[in-house]
Amino acid sequence: MILGLVSLNALLAQRSFRIDDLRGRIAVLSQEQLELRHEQATLSAPGRIAEWAHRHGMRLPDDIRSLHMPSKGATAAPAGAADLDLKTLKEALEAVT
Amino acid sequence: MSRPPIRRLVGLFCCLSLAFGTIVVRLVVLQVNQAGALQTRALDQRLREVELPAWRGEILDRSREPFALSIEARDVYADPRFVDDPWNTAVTIAPILGIEVGDLLPKLTAETTFVYLARQVGLDVAGRLEALNLPGIGFLAVSKRVYPAGPLAPQVVGFANIDGVGISGLELQYQSLLAGKPGERTQELAEDGRSIAGGIHVEIPPVPGSDLVCTIDRYFQYQVQAALEEAVRQNHALGGTVVVMDPQTGEILAMASYPWFDPNAPGDARPATWRNKAITDAWEPGSVNKVITAAAAVQEHALPLNQRIAVPDQMQVGTFTIHDSDPHPVEQMTLGDIIAQSSNMGAVLVARRLGSTELANYLSLFGLGRTTGVGFPGESPGIVLPVDRWTDASLATIAYGQGISVTPLQMISVYATIANGGEWVQPRLVKGWISSDGTYHPAPASQTRRVVSEETAHMVTRMLAYAVQAGTGTAAQIPRYQVAGKTGTARIPLPNGSGYFTDRSIASFIGFLPASAPRVVIAAILDRPATVYGGIAAAPLFRQIARYAIERLSIAPGRSLRLPPHALPVP
Repeated sequence: MILGLVSLNALLAQRSFRIDDLRGRIAVLSQEQLELRHEQATLSAPGRIAEWAHRHGMRLPDDIRSLHMPSKGATAAPAGAADLDLKTLKEALEAVT
Repeated sequence: MSRPPIRRLVGLFCCLSLAFGTIVVRLVVLQVNQAGALQTRALDQRLREVELPAWRGEILDRSREPFALSIEARDVYADPRFVDDPWNTAVTIAPILGIEVGDLLPKLTAETTFVYLARQVGLDVAGRLEALNLPGIGFLAVSKRVYPAGPLAPQVVGFANIDGVGISGLELQYQSLLAGKPGERTQELAEDGRSIAGGIHVEIPPVPGSDLVCTIDRYFQYQVQAALEEAVRQNHALGGTVVVMDPQTGEILAMASYPWFDPNAPGDARPATWRNKAITDAWEPGSVNKVITAAAAVQEHALPLNQRIAVPDQMQVGTFTIHDSDPHPVEQMTLGDIIAQSSNMGAVLVARRLGSTELANYLSLFGLGRTTGVGFPGESPGIVLPVDRWTDASLATIAYGQGISVTPLQMISVYATIANGGEWVQPRLVKGWISSDGTYHPAPASQTRRVVSEETAHMVTRMLAYAVQAGTGTAAQIPRYQVAGKTGTARIPLPNGSGYFTDRSIASFIGFLPASAPRVVIAAILDRPATVYGGIAAAPLFRQIARYAIERLSIAPGRSLRLPPHALPVP
């Protein structure tokens, strides 16, 4: 019985050391996660990206054209809409080339 | 002659019995009678209760990118009783902390048991100090609020003080939500401060604060700030304000007031720059207010849309003479012309047909003179005189936006109402919040109210589109897109209220696009630009932001509204 109690006590002590270790590891990983989150947020800040891009000779385009195609389930397009889309597409392609 | 031994023994026995009896009685008193109280006192001496601070929630943009977050840091303190050599200690730690030796030395020699040497220092700095193992120098684990994007929407986000309490902006408005609930640790400690093995150890964990998801798009916000800063510089203005809003939901996509500040170091900036002027500051709106006069006139059929009225360039109102910005002969104008050409006299004539009560009613319906409900700290309701105090001059000047004051947020909400088919939507800065268990809670939907009919809103939109096509707002035109908007040039009142500065004004342009199915409303306001005309100063700023909105929000051009042919001025 004494042997059993001693073994149980040793087992509990061992578990508590393991729990302490894991708590410490959680604390370290949490801190690391916070630091990485901060770093990621800082690096992805729009101002930093814009500054980096500017330093590397990039600039915002003067004119951006988006082509908006009618959705598949769209109802009847107004007369001339298809021609208009083709015309816009042609204009956009000409602008690009 | 000596006493017999037996009597001495009896005497001694009695004395000892008395002594033992006293001890027994005292023991009974201590162990039985006072046992509970003494045990409690002893436990109180051993127990220590420590508050466990809750981790402050983050403030995120609409894509859940952080505006504000907390990181671990250390407070460095000293117990001067245990500092062996104050001079050498100060010389050693001063360069690490970046503090002058002269500032540290008095703290290290102070007659106290605790003094802060530095607060919220980085873990790397604290680690270097800890490695020195200096006697009397200690460290406290704390959190530090940081704003990784720097001066991005600082007046909206606000900032928290060194103790993690919100001081301005959303940090203040949502203090209780962000702060969470502190926990508590109760443990039995020995005399030397170490935990007693097997002793009491109870811990109530803190509940971390919720993360706040706001409506701002931080990439859009950056572009808005860059455009605003450039416009202020180009126009030699004192400052400026821009608000970008989704008219259907009332969500604010960007909100900037120049000059701004870096929330990581708010103390380096003037406190005036902390204010979110789009919400806290009211200004006399000038001609952008004519949209209310026009909407009221259309709704109340005060002036048939195709009717022309004779508009002079000046008129007498009571003892005042009011006039248009430029002299012109008497012109025959429709309501559309009055808006397009931004005629003050025309607006006055329309307002007279409406009457004070009706105009005041529409000002109120559009939300002027009261807060918007956004709940932002320090929100101004603006100033609108009660209608019973209006004079003829009040009716005349309010018709074209002088004699009242509004916030930029109120005014953009007016245009959002027109863009939204006549229904006012309460503006909002918060989409929702994420509680500590990861559950997302959307904010309640914005309140709405019908202000004018859909037909009226549609007609006013056509007038605003006409103002951009052929009126004072041509500088806001964007190829392939039909923009609806209005210029404003507001004069600034003299401090004594006796009139207006002749050389100072606030230029504005508020509009939306595409006119047929508005996706975004933009208010661009410049404070005291070199030129006094809103069309020249603020419309190009509007255009630049609108072009970025088209790209960012993938806005399709939409169909063009047919502009009223009768709106052309009669030669």
